[in-house]
Amino acid sequence: MNETTARVIVVEDEPQIRRFVCDALRREGCASIEAATARQGLDEVARGAPDLVILDLGLPDMNGIEFIRDMRSWSPVPILILSARSAERDKISALDTGADDYLCKPFGVGELLARVRALLRRHWQAGEASPHHQFGDVEVDLSRRIVSRGGVEIHLTQIEYRLLAVLLANNGKVLTHRHLIREVWGPGHSEQSHYLRIYVGRLRQKLEMDPTQPQYLLTETGVGYRFQT
Amino acid sequence: MKSELPYRWCKAPYPMAAALCLLATLGTLPLRDLLDLANIVMIFLLAVFIAAVWLGRGPSVMAAFLAVALFDFFFVPPHLSFAVSDGQYLVTFAVMLAVGLITSHLAALLSERTLEAQSREQETRVLYELARDLGGAVTVDQVAEIVQRFLGLIEMDVTLLVANPSRERGSFQEHGSRHLSELERTFARSAYESRTIVETDSLAGMGAAIVFLPVVAPTHVRGVLALAPRSDDVDNLRARRPMLEAVASLVAITLERLHYADAAQSSEVQVVAERLRTSILSSLSHDLRTPLTSLVGLADAMVQRQPPLPEEATETAGIIRDQARAMHHILSNLLEMARLQAGSITLNKEWQPFEEIVGSSTRLLAVLLAGRQLDIDVPRDLPLLNFDAVLLERVVCNLLENAARYSPQGAPIQVVARTREQWLEVAVGNDGPGFPADRIEQVFDLFARGEREPAVAGTGLGLAICKAIVEAHGGTIVAENRPGGACVRFKLPLGSPPAMEEEAPT
Repeated sequence: MNETTARVIVVEDEPQIRRFVCDALRREGCASIEAATARQGLDEVARGAPDLVILDLGLPDMNGIEFIRDMRSWSPVPILILSARSAERDKISALDTGADDYLCKPFGVGELLARVRALLRRHWQAGEASPHHQFGDVEVDLSRRIVSRGGVEIHLTQIEYRLLAVLLANNGKVLTHRHLIREVWGPGHSEQSHYLRIYVGRLRQKLEMDPTQPQYLLTETGVGYRFQT
Repeated sequence: MKSELPYRWCKAPYPMAAALCLLATLGTLPLRDLLDLANIVMIFLLAVFIAAVWLGRGPSVMAAFLAVALFDFFFVPPHLSFAVSDGQYLVTFAVMLAVGLITSHLAALLSERTLEAQSREQETRVLYELARDLGGAVTVDQVAEIVQRFLGLIEMDVTLLVANPSRERGSFQEHGSRHLSELERTFARSAYESRTIVETDSLAGMGAAIVFLPVVAPTHVRGVLALAPRSDDVDNLRARRPMLEAVASLVAITLERLHYADAAQSSEVQVVAERLRTSILSSLSHDLRTPLTSLVGLADAMVQRQPPLPEEATETAGIIRDQARAMHHILSNLLEMARLQAGSITLNKEWQPFEEIVGSSTRLLAVLLAGRQLDIDVPRDLPLLNFDAVLLERVVCNLLENAARYSPQGAPIQVVARTREQWLEVAVGNDGPGFPADRIEQVFDLFARGEREPAVAGTGLGLAICKAIVEAHGGTIVAENRPGGACVRFKLPLGSPPAMEEEAPT
């Protein structure tokens, strides 16, 4: 990692998993701090300002959701969750409580580091968002509200544009259905989740090469969507 | 009611009434010259009154007439003759008769009312005792026994038929000492279905049940009470009908209570079993997934090592990682199947486009499908479908995985979706050897394998899970061979998607 050395706290009760996660982080150039319990993890977060927290949702001493709620009340540091694939509900509530991303067990070093890099980049770039985005042959200029593909301007409806803007602003981050509906349609529309699906489909048809196999507007099945370049 | 009056002890009320009048005559005769005629009338009225109170209506009416006749014969001059010397005595007779009749009527009415109240009170007390006994009953057999004991007092045999809700309609379970004939069962069924009392008087006295009372509880008809009187006194039976109906409703409430107690108990057992199963599954899943996560991660760390390990070690580490992943995949399938089979899965259905599932599945299987030509033919205008995305993604993943595993490297894989009538039909096909023709029906069975000799790794769980998930969504799934390959088709009901308001054009 460039700039300063990133400090990553790994809260995981399983020593073997903790070991390979920390090894991978160290090789990536991060300073990793190990915590075996949630209590210890919260203490570490409070003690030294970390850049990222990696949290196992299945800790013995505290519900992962409580950990996130507790930490979020005083720290904006990104949180990456480790959880089982089948536990969609847990993931959604963790994300809605304030976690930033999740990784399904089992995972390889490559997947782990990709997520860590994306989260650290977002963390460091917070507040200096660029109005210009480019992915594939699509260019988006948020300052002039212009979206073009292959140099040809594309017309987006207001909702399509708002949805795209929210996704772009959270590049690399999973956004739950509920979160996206609240951001785009406002609170009180949570019953209309099919609107979101339809609008994401329309964005894909306008912006993706192959809408059935999207490269950028990705589906996180059962959880939400993620924009990823 | 007659037989229940307390003057039953008096076997001959009419002669008694006559005797009372004679007694009054004989007692008063010596005093004929001392007493005023008006007072003698009083003594006769007293006799009529006593007859009314003790002997009932008929005898007292007779006593009233007899009293007038005796009074006339013995006391009104000329004596010992019915002739009347003074016309005003006719008024005396009329008043005496009228007072006698009215008195007898009132007195008799009063005593009848009293008796009625007494017998009703007795009936109520008996019913109360029945209710109290039924309140303590904990099995249907006990209910039948208590009712039999109670109705045995009035010379009736009872069979309690309890409807079997789980079996076909009109199937009963009998409780009681008597076994019903087929004819009796037919009557019972008709009482059960019509919810009305069925009586068959013509069979009275033959030992057969002749009254069939439906046992109607607040929520259901719970069964039928079949009553067989030991005598052929049909009138008696009819007079007791209100009480019998009360018995039937007490039995109904008791059966209802037993039913809900049973249901509550069995659901409690079910909840406990369910909780146990869930906790076993989740701890199993956690305990097995944790070491596999370590294995995958540690092996992958060796593969990614910089500077790299010797080539052989890197290769070995890669194999360990892939095998651990494959094992995790099997584990997930097993756990999913266990959950599906337990029937404890609640579908998290939402209206969403089917194509999203295709996209996310191919992304999940990117490594396996690399180098494959994917022909995806999903129309853009497919309507939204109501399904559980995570489960259906598993179906598509399993089918894609099978298509890739059972076809030569590099052979194309097809995914086609179409709407047909009220269904979305999806076909996943490959260019491979196809399913063995003789076992194509069994490929969805648990642990069935397409080939007898497992040339390809797998557990035979994949298609069984697909079937369970598709069927949970109200769909069907079939496997078939077509020229040059195999194909699995499933279809899901389209339903009617929620409406959507289009935004105003900008």
